[in-house]
Amino acid sequence: MTILTLLIPVTLVMGAVGLGAFFWSLHSGQYEDLSGDAERILFDEDDKPLAAYPPGHSGTTKEKTP
Amino acid sequence: MMSNLTRAERANAMVIAGTGAFIGLVMAAAGRGDPMGAHGWIVLAFCGALFFVVGSAYEDPEPTQDRTASYYDDPTKVGILIALFWAVVGMGMGVWVASQLAWPDLRFDAAWSSFGRIRPVHTSGVIFGFGGNALIATSFHIMQRTCRARMPDQVTPWFVLLGFNLFCIVASSGYLMGVTQSKEYAEPEWYADLWLVVVWVVYFVLYIRTLARRNEPHIYVANWYYLAFILVVAVLHIVNNLAVPASLTGAKSYSAFAGVQDAMTQWWYGHNAVAFFLTSGFLGMLYYFLPKRAERPIYSYRLSILSFWGITFFYIWAGSHHLHYTALPHWVQTLGMTFSVMLLVPSWASAGNALMTLNGAWHKVRDDATLRFMMVAAVFYGLSTFEGSFMAIRPVNGLSHYTDWTVGHVHAGAMGWVALISFGSIYALAPVLWRRETIYSWKAVEWHFWLALAGTVIYVFAMWNSGITQGLMWRTYTESGTLAYSFTDTLVAMHPYYVARTFGGLLFLIGACIGAWNVVMTIRRMPSETPERDYPTSSESREPALPAAE
Amino acid sequence: MRVISEKHDRKVRPAPSGPVTRAERSASVRPAANGHGVCLISVPNISCGACVARIERALIDCPGVVAARANLTLRQVRVTLTDANTDPSPGYEALAALGYTARPLDPSDTEPASAQQDGPDLLRCIAVAGFGAMNVMLLSVAVWSGAEATTRDTFHLISALIAVPVVAYAGQPFFRSALVVLRGGRLNMDVPIALAVLLALALSLSELLQGGDHVFFDAAVTLLFFLLTGRYLDQLMRDRARSAVTGLARLSPKGAMARGPDGSLEWIALHAVAKGMILHIDAGERVPVDVRILHGDTDLDRSLVTGEAMPVAASPGTELEAGTLNLTGGIEVEVLRPVAESFLAEMMRMLSAAETSRSTYVRIADRAARLYAPVVHLLAVATFAGWLLVTGDWQVSAFVAISVLIITCPCALGLAVPVAQVVAAGRLMRSGILMKDGSALERLAQIDRAVFDKTGTLTTGTPMVTSCFEGEAEQREASKALAMQSRHPAAQAIAAHLPEVACEVADAVEVPGFGVEGRVHGRRARLGRARWVAEIAADPQAATGPAFAFEGAPALSFDLSETLRPGAVDTISDMQSSGIPVTMLSGDDAARVAQVAETLGIAEAHHGMTPARKVGVLEDLRDRGHRALMVGDGLNDTAALAAAHVSMAPSTAADAGRTAADFVFLRDGLDAVATAQDVARATARVVRQNFGLAIAYNCIAIPLAVAGLVTPLIAALAMSASSILVIGNSLRLNGKRAAAPLQSVERGPVAIPA
Repeated sequence: MTILTLLIPVTLVMGAVGLGAFFWSLHSGQYEDLSGDAERILFDEDDKPLAAYPPGHSGTTKEKTP
Repeated sequence: MMSNLTRAERANAMVIAGTGAFIGLVMAAAGRGDPMGAHGWIVLAFCGALFFVVGSAYEDPEPTQDRTASYYDDPTKVGILIALFWAVVGMGMGVWVASQLAWPDLRFDAAWSSFGRIRPVHTSGVIFGFGGNALIATSFHIMQRTCRARMPDQVTPWFVLLGFNLFCIVASSGYLMGVTQSKEYAEPEWYADLWLVVVWVVYFVLYIRTLARRNEPHIYVANWYYLAFILVVAVLHIVNNLAVPASLTGAKSYSAFAGVQDAMTQWWYGHNAVAFFLTSGFLGMLYYFLPKRAERPIYSYRLSILSFWGITFFYIWAGSHHLHYTALPHWVQTLGMTFSVMLLVPSWASAGNALMTLNGAWHKVRDDATLRFMMVAAVFYGLSTFEGSFMAIRPVNGLSHYTDWTVGHVHAGAMGWVALISFGSIYALAPVLWRRETIYSWKAVEWHFWLALAGTVIYVFAMWNSGITQGLMWRTYTESGTLAYSFTDTLVAMHPYYVARTFGGLLFLIGACIGAWNVVMTIRRMPSETPERDYPTSSESREPALPAAE
Repeated sequence: MRVISEKHDRKVRPAPSGPVTRAERSASVRPAANGHGVCLISVPNISCGACVARIERALIDCPGVVAARANLTLRQVRVTLTDANTDPSPGYEALAALGYTARPLDPSDTEPASAQQDGPDLLRCIAVAGFGAMNVMLLSVAVWSGAEATTRDTFHLISALIAVPVVAYAGQPFFRSALVVLRGGRLNMDVPIALAVLLALALSLSELLQGGDHVFFDAAVTLLFFLLTGRYLDQLMRDRARSAVTGLARLSPKGAMARGPDGSLEWIALHAVAKGMILHIDAGERVPVDVRILHGDTDLDRSLVTGEAMPVAASPGTELEAGTLNLTGGIEVEVLRPVAESFLAEMMRMLSAAETSRSTYVRIADRAARLYAPVVHLLAVATFAGWLLVTGDWQVSAFVAISVLIITCPCALGLAVPVAQVVAAGRLMRSGILMKDGSALERLAQIDRAVFDKTGTLTTGTPMVTSCFEGEAEQREASKALAMQSRHPAAQAIAAHLPEVACEVADAVEVPGFGVEGRVHGRRARLGRARWVAEIAADPQAATGPAFAFEGAPALSFDLSETLRPGAVDTISDMQSSGIPVTMLSGDDAARVAQVAETLGIAEAHHGMTPARKVGVLEDLRDRGHRALMVGDGLNDTAALAAAHVSMAPSTAADAGRTAADFVFLRDGLDAVATAQDVARATARVVRQNFGLAIAYNCIAIPLAVAGLVTPLIAALAMSASSILVIGNSLRLNGKRAAAPLQSVERGPVAIPA
């Protein structure tokens, strides 16, 4: 099964990319408030993008007005 | 539509369309006398039409309002409509293909209409045409809403959507001309594959760019599912389609792999296409639209993230179960079998998570057909993943493989899960996109739901029966040790099931047509009366998670 | 698509202490990147997504706020301000207007426990171990399924290349812990784990080099993965409870407003408060250190200090302990003792003394490990010796001995306790009970005595009107109007009791220590202490409770009393009928204590208890071999909470009390105690079952391993199966339905003379 010499490295690389993505998400605080984040997609009284939040900070910002 | 583009963007779009038209012209010239030449004319026509459409609106006034204050929904809208168009075409082809099995005369003695040519038009039409466009359109919607940011520019989404559809057109027109690599779900030839790589990379970059400009710090789990869909499909597509063209002026190419190596690569691709095209992306859809429509957060958000990583890791090696009892080494088969069985855990975690989200809101499921589409989709997802794990066990596969049972299994997933979640999402999305209060007719949604459900159940049961009958007939021996039934005997036994299958498919097709009509009517005019129940009524049943923090 | 329901009807209880000073809020703003300021606000009553949306929406509209993000899990809000000098007060006011309790949060309170340990984060270890386990398992399955010759050797090599770095990275938590324990000459669960993992890896490497058949890379890595998962769950549980507890309103002030020589007021940090300083304490603030009043009259709530529920009047010369709540009037005070010598500090010293006496408790898993580890190691050595004697082949012997170690590796044992406790913690949390750590659950299951504090624990600590004058609509309206002018608990009780609509009141003045005076319909009226009201009333004789009168008209009086916590009666009677005698300890006077004891049917009640005597009672119980549960809320209970075998406190308890208690219940009803006890017992049962399962598994597996019949495949399968069995058994704890918490007062108030 020489094909495995291709498929195994490809899979390992994809796994490593996944691991890297997980490490990034952990580092960037993606899992700090899971219960809150599950709720957040339900807020949409105004179907508009938010203004860019200040760099280095996060949170609800003032809404964009057209 | 053009009014949302600046003049510079229109110019960019014209350059891209013009380049495409030029490539089409080159293909047409170089591939004279070969199907590639015909494809060149198709590309030229497609890009030329786009060039003309953009060009004729070039002098129109530019957008005046601040575009960053709204989401860019035009590509989503067009994507939804194209998806519905492909649904009708692909499913119509499916009904025709199914009818040919029951009544072979329906081939009408033409080469292009033979079973082997129109079957891939059906599979590619529903998977890539309908499914792919629905995924691209919903991903545009979801990534903007969950990031609370507009897409980074206006031309790229059009490039992705229309480029993907150009691929779909080239692919299905090629099948009718007999152009195929003979690889399941990877039939298109080398130039179409190359084009898809370009489109797909641009799609991935667009997604990452949108995420990078997000105003909501958290990346909602649906985005992870979509990203896995895009990224892994790109890798699979590239590896499986490594091929050497016989000549640069013709469609024919030869795979870089041979024999069982090629088969292994093909099913490594094929099963992961099921995982990452037909599962991961649609789970992203489920994880966004189901909570949204039910107005409840997902039951366990943590579990949805965990099952994401589970699915990503477990699926990779399951593909070899497609090659049980072949020249593939025994241990590779066992490996595929083991991982297919383990795959049940994350799959059921997702299905259970979806159903538990609805637990406590069953009255909404009862009243709202849109939500019911999603609920039944989750049930079929659970059923077909269980069936899949079961069928991957070698002895079971000994009975099921090469029979209609496999076809039944695929359709339980494709109709019950993929199509129902897509229709549910489209019904939830259409009123939001076109700023309507509700869908045009909730009664039509009900009709669609029951037609789709009945069609799926009839189809799947017919194929289970036919598959098991077929499998048992093939392995029945007489006392003298010869086969008891000839192949023709089995076909006679299959006939009633093939008729039933056609009927089931027809019901499903009628449902899809009603759905397409309903969406078009939603866009065209407002309902004459306010529907009683298209929308979930209230959020009264939202129990507090924690009883007392006062 | 969705409109957030406006009928957010969750009952919002006012903060146990008054509002925080503006200065204290400002002091909590920290400078951040880009010149912005950031402050963390604890909002304990964020309870759903709608709250998150509402809070963020309200904050973003406040002046000076750039961004706001509420964290539903930690119940905190992070507010970004235009710069570090921006006053965050409008944000606090917006939160208060929505009915949320908001307090500045010290960033040091929110450090998770994991940040203190060195080495990589557990979750990172799990991710790496999971990645390794998946890939090594994949290769192993291939080998088990019959991959032979070069393919097998290649797969073994790839496995080794994955496993070695993975173990080196993800095994660190175990290696470190084992090293620390071994240096101290002791044993814990991590020693056999670390040994098994390292030996499996070493043996596999040597097999690999010799081209042998059996490698254990998969076992080593999956073992790590499972054990890390168990450890992570344990940590998750503790972190979550910790963040919830620190998120509750903090009661002890972090500083005070000092009056400078020039008469100006300046906020100073608590540690800088020195003896002899003059402080200004506003109405609604808590006294930070022990002080004597110089100017001003007021009413004091000393319930957290003395356990006495009813406010007392205070005037110049009165000495106040740290922790007293100033209710009605601003006062100028002189500092008697620096912070380190205050009443609060004294309590802290007693607390730490009591805590050291309790630290002798050994967790059930460690008790098991003490027994288990030597047995396993001896067994492995014996196996090695036995095989060496019989076969004379040291390599085979080592292989079998290591199989014994791996298969007996306490995978299931490592999961038996944490999984059960995490499931139990989740269930308790859904019932509004926070658990500090798993050992508390073990201890709660063992109790045979219960000791309750009275005020704030058996009773709610707030007064309630039991009877008032009837008819007299005009007087009732006026009473309500005047009552609404004050934050005195008696006034608030009166305002809450009267259903009438308050009428207009003019020139309202609160006279601290006496009551409220104002003009209603042009007539002078007073609501307050009976004797003070009688000064303007027609009849000079004074009632006992608070009274109301129009000038020249007869005085009308209210009767106030303490209310029992909902569920108190049932909880006490259930405990006593299940064979747990209940004792009541109170700093209150004999009459009130006797009355409550009688109502609740408590035989043994002690009155006039000082903090030291409370500890004495608990130490006495312990010396007599009893395991007592202490339930209390006040500062005066803190040491007793720590001295008890296990303790609980309501969320309204003093800061120190909540910190000392093992459980904190967020719900009103005392039935939380019974719920927690039920869950604790069920958990103890499940833990015993889990140990039983793990031991039964070992009884079957060890003979096989000793006989040399275990291949890596069987080892891996058996290990996973036993772990899954243990997890499945623990999940049964979730099946029991949590009782709905009592929210309303179920029994009427007990008439206790106020």
